[in-house]
Parts: sequence; C-alpha cells; structure tokens
Amino acid sequence: MQRDVGSLPLAPALRARLVAAGFQTAQELLDTGPCGLSKEIGISKEEALEALQVVRQECHSDATQTAGAPGTSRKCTALELLEQEQAQGFIITFCSALDNILGGGVQLTKITEICGEPGVGKTQLCMQLAVDVQIPECFGGLAGEAVFIDTEGSFMVDRVVDVATACVQHCQLIAEAHQEEDHLKALETFSLESILSHIYYFRCRDYIELLAQVYLLPDFLSEHSKVRLVVIDGIAFPFRHDFEDLSLRTRLLNGLAQQLIIIANDHKAAVVLTNQMTTRIGQSQSTLVPALAAAVPAKEAAIPAGGHCPNLHAG
Amino acid sequence: MAPKKLRRARLSQELCERLSRYQITTCQDFLCLSLLDLMKVTGQSYRNVQKLLCKVSLACAPKMQTAYEMKVRRAVNPSSAFLSTSLHGLDKVLHGGVPCGSLTEITSPPGCGKTQFCIMMSVLATLPVSMGGLDGAVIYIDTESAFSAERLVEIAGNRFPAYFDSDEKLFSMTRSIYLYRELTCGSVLKRIKSLEEEIISKKVKLIIIDSVASVVRKEFDTKLQGNLTERSNFLARGASLLKYLAEEFSIPVILTNQITTWLSNGLAIQADLVSPADDLCLSEGASGGGKRESGSVTAALGNTWSHSVNTRLILQYHDLPTRQILVAKSPVAPFSAFFYTVEKSGFVLQDGKDQTNLTWEGTNPALQNIKPATLHLEGKLSSELTLISEREKKPRAPAIRSFSGGNSLGCFLSDHWDLPARAGQK
Repeated sequence: MQRDVGSLPLAPALRARLVAAGFQTAQELLDTGPCGLSKEIGISKEEALEALQVVRQECHSDATQTAGAPGTSRKCTALELLEQEQAQGFIITFCSALDNILGGGVQLTKITEICGEPGVGKTQLCMQLAVDVQIPECFGGLAGEAVFIDTEGSFMVDRVVDVATACVQHCQLIAEAHQEEDHLKALETFSLESILSHIYYFRCRDYIELLAQVYLLPDFLSEHSKVRLVVIDGIAFPFRHDFEDLSLRTRLLNGLAQQLIIIANDHKAAVVLTNQMTTRIGQSQSTLVPALAAAVPAKEAAIPAGGHCPNLHAG
Repeated sequence: MAPKKLRRARLSQELCERLSRYQITTCQDFLCLSLLDLMKVTGQSYRNVQKLLCKVSLACAPKMQTAYEMKVRRAVNPSSAFLSTSLHGLDKVLHGGVPCGSLTEITSPPGCGKTQFCIMMSVLATLPVSMGGLDGAVIYIDTESAFSAERLVEIAGNRFPAYFDSDEKLFSMTRSIYLYRELTCGSVLKRIKSLEEEIISKKVKLIIIDSVASVVRKEFDTKLQGNLTERSNFLARGASLLKYLAEEFSIPVILTNQITTWLSNGLAIQADLVSPADDLCLSEGASGGGKRESGSVTAALGNTWSHSVNTRLILQYHDLPTRQILVAKSPVAPFSAFFYTVEKSGFVLQDGKDQTNLTWEGTNPALQNIKPATLHLEGKLSSELTLISEREKKPRAPAIRSFSGGNSLGCFLSDHWDLPARAGQK
C-alpha cells in the first residue's frame, strides 16, 4: 500500500502529472477517489476510474505476494524445489548415452541449446524430440504436444513421418512384450496421425516474424495447455545477416531469452534451441565456436563434427 | 519483402500518427522496442501496451499448421514434392530426387560436371509430369558463361529420344529455359529479387544458379578487412531470398559451388604459398587435423553457407572416366556415394558399383574431403603443358585443362605426373 506512484504501470504522461501534483503513494490515490483525482489532475472521470482500477489491481497482487499465497507466489524452499525437479518428467531422446549425460533426457522448464556444425543432426534431433514428447505416460513419456518454430526451412515432413512410424512400432513392441491393459489402450490413440496433428509448425522467415511469434507464444500455450516442448530450429539464422546494429541484436536476443525462460517456467515446457557454428578467426589460428554464444543462458549440448553423432532411433 | 506498415496491423489512426512522430512506421520498428520505450512512445499503460504488442505480433506472425496438414498436402500432390534426377540409385536414396522447397547445392572440383548436371536438370524440369518432370519453365542464372544450348539439345535428344522425336518438341523445351547472364554479386542479388514476379508469370518450376561461388570469390577478397562480413551478408541475404522463393512456390533451387583449400591448422601465413585467388576455408586445428593432410580441398564459401543449404551433393573424381557423386548433407538421406560417367545423354550411373564405400564415414559436409582431379584428364581440354603419362611413357597432348569460366583453382597435378625435365623440347 505504500507503493510509490512512480512505479505504477500507468501511462507515462499520467504518471508525470500525478507526481507533479504531489501524489507520492498508491494509498493516497485510492483515498482520493476518482472524482477528486479528475478535478485535481484535470483528466476525465473515466480516465481517473481506469487509472484507479489499475492501481487497485497492482496493490492487490502486491498484497498476495507479500502474504505468501502458495498458488501465485514464486518463492519456495529448496527442498520443495528439489522434490519438484525430481518429480518432473524428461523428454527422452532414445539415445541412452545422450539421455545419461543430460540426466534423464531434455529437462522441462529449462532451455537446452544444441549447437553443431552443418549437417551433424541438430534438426534431426529436434524432430525426434517433437515425436518423443508425445509418447504416452505408460511408456515413460510425457503425453505432451510440441511447437516447432522453423527459421531455416529444414523441417522435412517425410522424415518426421519416418521417425513417428518407428516410434509407434517401438511402443507396439513394448506393449506386446508386457501385455498390459493401459499399454494397449494408450496405443489406440498413439498413432501416426495423432502424432503429426500435435506438432504445431510455424515457419518464421525473418527475425520480426520470430519476435512476433515468441510474443504470441504465451497465449498459444495457454490455449494448448498440453504443449510440453517448444523447439526453435535456428535461433541464429535470422539474426546473422541484415543487422548493422549489433547492440540491438544483443538486446533482442536477451529479450527473447527472457521470454523463453518465462514460457518454460510458467507452462512447464522444455525449450530447445539450435545454434549454428561460426569460425572465430584468432591471431594464430581459428576455432569453431557456436554463433551468438553467451546470448542465451542455456544448458548446452554441443555435438562435435565427425562420426560421433548420437545414434538416433529410427534413423 | 518490405516491412509491414503499422496501419495494416489494425492500430488506430491516431496511434499510428503519434508513432510516426517518433519515426516508428513499420511493425519492425514497433517490435524492436522494449516495453518501457513503447510505453513512453505510445503514452499508454503497461497492460495496454501488452495488448498492442499482441495485436502487432498477430499481424506479423506466421500461420500455424500442424505436421499432419503438411503431410496431407504433400500426399495430395506427391510428384510435386521432388524433381526426379532420372538417376535411379540417387533418387531412391533421396526419397524421390531433388527436393522441392529447399536449396540443393552441387559442389565439385572443376570439370567434374556441375554445369552438365544443371543442364540435365533443366531438361528434366521441362518434361511433363508423367515422365517425372515438373512441366514448367526453368530460370538459369549463369555467372560463368558456361551454359551451352547445343549441349542442352544433345542431352535432350540422347536421353529421351522417344519424347524429343521432333524439332518442334525440342524448340518448345528450349523456349521454356530462361537464361540470365549475371556477372556481379549485386546484379545476381537484384535478379533474385526480381524472380518472384517472373516465377508467377512464366510458370517457373526450377531455379538454377551456376555458380554462386564464382561471383562471390571474384568480388570479395577475404584477406581485406571487412570483406568477410560483407560476403557473409550477401550470401545470407541471397540464401534467405532463395529459401523464400523455394518455399513459397514449392520449387527446387539448385546452386553450384566450388572448392577451396583446407589448411589443417588454419594459419593465415600459409595463404601466400597458395594461389592468391584461392579462398581459405579456415577451421579449427583440433578437429581431425591429424588425419587430414594440409592442402586438402573441401566445399567453398565457408560454414555459414553450409548451414544455409539444405542438401549438398558433392561430385568428385575417381578413376577417370568414372566419377563419384556423394550425398554429403541431406535431411532425408544418409551419406551415400555413387559412381557415374558423363555421356552424351548426360549423367549415367554405373549400376552395380553403386554401393556406398563402407570404409567411408560421412563427416561434416562443410569439411568433407573432396578428391580433386588425379590422372589423365580427357575430354574437352586445350593443351597447355606436355606431360608424360605414367603408363604410356609418351607425351600426352591435352593434359591440363584451361577454363572458359572463372574458376580460381587453375590446374591440378597429381602425384603421378612427372614434369619432363626438358619441357621446352619435343
């Protein structure tokens, strides 16, 4: 209730007027009432009412946060966090070595970055994950849906069909071996058509479309609450050309990263980004490094060149 | 693809006017600002600004489609998903042929057959759908002046003699191949930008650019400061324009590339030892440096370009006249290799010899080791040097190739060749 007027999310012009008129705390505003406010500042009664509603909402949400209501607050003890993390599912990649390194698979509520040289299999891994996230719970999966944002145009439907068909077959083999009731029931809905229908594909041609899509993602995820994976294939590509202003690029990328972290946390989804490699020309030698490094705080999985690619299922 | 004006994002008139006072007229400008800046500029509260952001984003964001819808669309029109190369083994491995809607790159040492492949694909694209073609026109952007109409007619007549049985059919095929000669990077980019309208009016089904590398390497000397970024910019812009065209019209785009010398420890000093026109493909010293001899060749134009193309086919020499085609990068095909020869009818796969060499593992397509020309070069060559062949021990006349195109790597000598001590005599 002692919130400073300058920190309220009102229109800047209105805020400036309030401060100039001498108001200091939110409580003062609420006590004055809309009619008094409109006379003192010189705004219409409707505008004053709107402003007061915003203030009231802000103070109300402040109050619940300070009271520590369990549902809305973001604070908890480390033990609760540990229990949460352990109970959380992973998205398996069907490559046990990779799953072991990652601690069980791609983690939910975290951002994972995959970087590698061209042709090494980043998009393949992403397509695999988009299928694996949909595996029914009785087989150890998350029964979720996937959002695939493609900036490079390397998403091949035929390949996804191959991967999905093999995944379904794999689950069928497991079901035959175990002969359990819920396995067979799950298999009825886990088919090629359903897998493909639950991969939501967006093709972003430049960074503006990418930015716009990420702004719209929270609403999309609220509508499709079963989405557990957001893949952005090629976060580097739209930002690597046509950008004279490097500071703008850094700012946009940081903004993107923050939004993705919020999305990952709020919707309990895993965010997977792929990055390109670029040559950093040093003084005496050059090294291959991930492009746009250090822009996105993420858990990295670098796939080196050469024959040691993870052996993906249904490849 | 000019940025969208805010008016079309359904913002109110007065808001647009207010924003234009701050020089914010396009959706691009709007979305690049932070929330606080937006509040200041629009004079609205936090919540309203978020609603405005959503509105503008809706105007810019792409449409959603599920993978299932994409599959159904492709299933409805299966022949339009690929352009068959008429090389059976290659088509099988690539799940149909050169994929529509993405970029395919052919890279090889000089003289392996890139232009031949492009000419062959031009013929195939004009064929009717029943014969595996796309029944459409072809846009051929030629930067090396290597296109030969006579060769085009020869390939057509020899490959499909039953179809091209009359002059009329040959002429109608040649009429649908539009050739553009562009000699600078700027004009190539301008041409690509103008293609959108041409594709619609001429019903184009295939775009070929032969070759990207030659214009780029002519104009950008990577040793000069700043040129490397400009070159990457040009390539990235070209690639994204071509991707847009390929996807929008669902047509294949074929590009050709050259090769470059790969120095295993990437020392810039060594540049002086190689021909100054050579491009350097710098890469990290540790990656497989021990295995590769320095001075091996790989595809040119660097890493970023390798990321931009979706499929990469490498042609290389084997035992002449046999050559080899490798599928180095493809989202649907594993690493494979086939043997072929270049005949009157274009490319001919050697059946029976097309098993993948199992000791060969595919590696980073950007650094895939390519075999340059080794022994006896035959065919359309002009004589420059007289060399003694290992086997016959008599001077073989046309030995080193001179190029009409601007390929920067001049001539190749293999270890077997011996420069005669008495070069001037006899």
